[in-house]
Amino acid sequence: MRILVIEDEPRLVRSLARGLREEGYAVDTAENGEDGLEKAISSDYDAIVLDVMLPQLDGWTVLTRLRREKQTPVLMLTARDTPRDRVRGLDGGADDYLVKPFDFSELLARLRALIRRAAGRALAEIEMGDVRLDTRARSVTRAGQHVALTAREYAILEYLALHRGEVVTRTTLYEHLFDETENTLSNLLDVHVFSLRKKLGSPLIATRRGQGYCIEH
Amino acid sequence: MFTRSIRWRFLLWLSFLLAAVLGALGTTAFRLYRAQVLAAIDSELSHIVSTLSSTVRQPPGGPRGGRIPGGPPPSPGRREQPPPGPMPGNLDERRLILTDELENLFYPAKNEGGLYFVVWAASGAVRSQAGPVPTGLTQPGRTGADTAIHLRAHDAFREAWHYTERSEAILVGRSITGDLAALRRYAWLLGGAAAVVLAVALGGGWLLVSGALKPVNEISATAARIAAGDLGGRIDVSETDSELGRLAGVLNDTFARLEGAFARQQQFTADAAHELRTPLAVLISEAQVTLARERTPEDYRHTIEVCLETAQQMRRLAESLLALARFDAGQDALRLTRFDLAERVRAGVELVQPLATEREITIRSELTSVETHADVDRIGQVIVNLLTNAVAYNKEHGEIHVATYAENGAAILAVTDSGPGIAPEDLPHVFERFYRADTSRARSEGRCGLGLAICKAAVEAHGGRITVSSQPGLGATFVVRLPVHGPG
Repeated sequence: MRILVIEDEPRLVRSLARGLREEGYAVDTAENGEDGLEKAISSDYDAIVLDVMLPQLDGWTVLTRLRREKQTPVLMLTARDTPRDRVRGLDGGADDYLVKPFDFSELLARLRALIRRAAGRALAEIEMGDVRLDTRARSVTRAGQHVALTAREYAILEYLALHRGEVVTRTTLYEHLFDETENTLSNLLDVHVFSLRKKLGSPLIATRRGQGYCIEH
Repeated sequence: MFTRSIRWRFLLWLSFLLAAVLGALGTTAFRLYRAQVLAAIDSELSHIVSTLSSTVRQPPGGPRGGRIPGGPPPSPGRREQPPPGPMPGNLDERRLILTDELENLFYPAKNEGGLYFVVWAASGAVRSQAGPVPTGLTQPGRTGADTAIHLRAHDAFREAWHYTERSEAILVGRSITGDLAALRRYAWLLGGAAAVVLAVALGGGWLLVSGALKPVNEISATAARIAAGDLGGRIDVSETDSELGRLAGVLNDTFARLEGAFARQQQFTADAAHELRTPLAVLISEAQVTLARERTPEDYRHTIEVCLETAQQMRRLAESLLALARFDAGQDALRLTRFDLAERVRAGVELVQPLATEREITIRSELTSVETHADVDRIGQVIVNLLTNAVAYNKEHGEIHVATYAENGAAILAVTDSGPGIAPEDLPHVFERFYRADTSRARSEGRCGLGLAICKAAVEAHGGRITVSSQPGLGATFVVRLPVHGPG
């Protein structure tokens, strides 16, 4: 999953980016409204963490303009917590609202929920045959047995699982798995998928020649 | 209690005043009337004495025209009337023959007036009398050969008398009990009327005062309510276009200022709290993320450094807030000394020089010695604040021009930078708390928008002024005016 963090306090941005990456997310950052909006529109993020008080373009404006083009889930961060501000944010198109200072674990949980909801899934666990994926614990079991996956493998599986039934192109997978700080080699993707098939059984992930991958219902 | 109320005091004074006036009026009216009544009685009695006297002295031979000799001097305005009737013999022994007119006056059947008369002969014996003569009546005295009519009063009787030239005394009198009673009734009437007038006036006064004071009470009540908490309220001035209207207007203005001050205060407090939230978010996030898994010592060190930096930032913020709060509360006692502003600026420039050098900014100083009477530390802060701003908001290889001089009895400090300047829409707001015009740079350097607000508070506490002028693209100039002779 790829997340965009738009926040002007540099230490906070660094801290959040580090924490999110360690949780397996690909993280892009922006420190002002204009950069943030540009990135948000030009790439497909799975979620955006948006601060309200931003230089150049404030958070509300970014949200309004973003919503004209994209439905990306947005979690607003702010130091302002009056009901009026919350209402404004939520009515303005934000999917969730978190007041600073916050617990990092709460931020993670809310992001997970946002991403799940965007994929149309309410529960934290996804069952695919005898494979069960726990998005909270970021763990996979097959027939009750825990399966060890690398972070990258888990990320690919999670994405495919959340978009079950859809064909996910390789490009999309790249977009959602790697952030701007990483240099990718395209065949890495194939290697990971191969490894997943070996661990979870080949029927799970289907290949659509020329199109992409899919976990079927 | 009564003496505190305007209404009661007014009524008290009004009643005193009215009572005094009515009293004086009434007394005078009564006296005049009484004098008039008595004068009428006296006049009547004198007239009767005259008439009686001429009857008594009627000379033998019938009436004679002209003045009767020995009679009283003619009373002014009265026509002589020689009485008819036969002539008597010995004057002393003759029975008095009265005219009908006089008979009617004195004799009981028709004596409603209580008139009586007594005639003494020259010997002093009572020659004749009629009517209800009071017991113990004494003959009046006579000075010399006086024949004028005199008046006297005793008990409830009034008498007129005169001596004829033959030394006979003729006295006519009357009881004036009835008149006195009438006078008393009149007095009561007057008193009653005065009382009614007083009551009506006091009643009317009460109503008028109440009416006049009603708006005052309303204003009082409204003002109390507003002061107790509802600062948005205002006194209704629409109907009182008078002295009270002006008072209400003044109160409304005061409330508006209070409301504004409170709002600014609340805004400031809220802003301060929000400012602290972001550094707190950094601390918490950094700590939680670091603790989420095992880290290398370098990682831990880095985390701790970040936390420390952030904490320092919060400390600076807290100090700025406290400084402003103290200025607000007027608690900041300035320790005034006389010092040379140029010297302080020189010291400030030295302090800031390293920052400037880092960005290759040159500082040009044109410092003329000028004395000022101010708090050295506070002004030092202002100087450093302005200089660091000039460095921060400047371009690389830019310039800062600092000058001190005297002008119109004030000590002036001017700081000019060659930075991007301040946009016209931001210019009026730069001294506001937490206002950050160039927000893109603000956060990353840990600035929180209080520097200029503190400068303003400090300068104004000295009775000075700080102003800014700027054109976008051409830098900004800040000018501080300080009094040479101390605040106030």
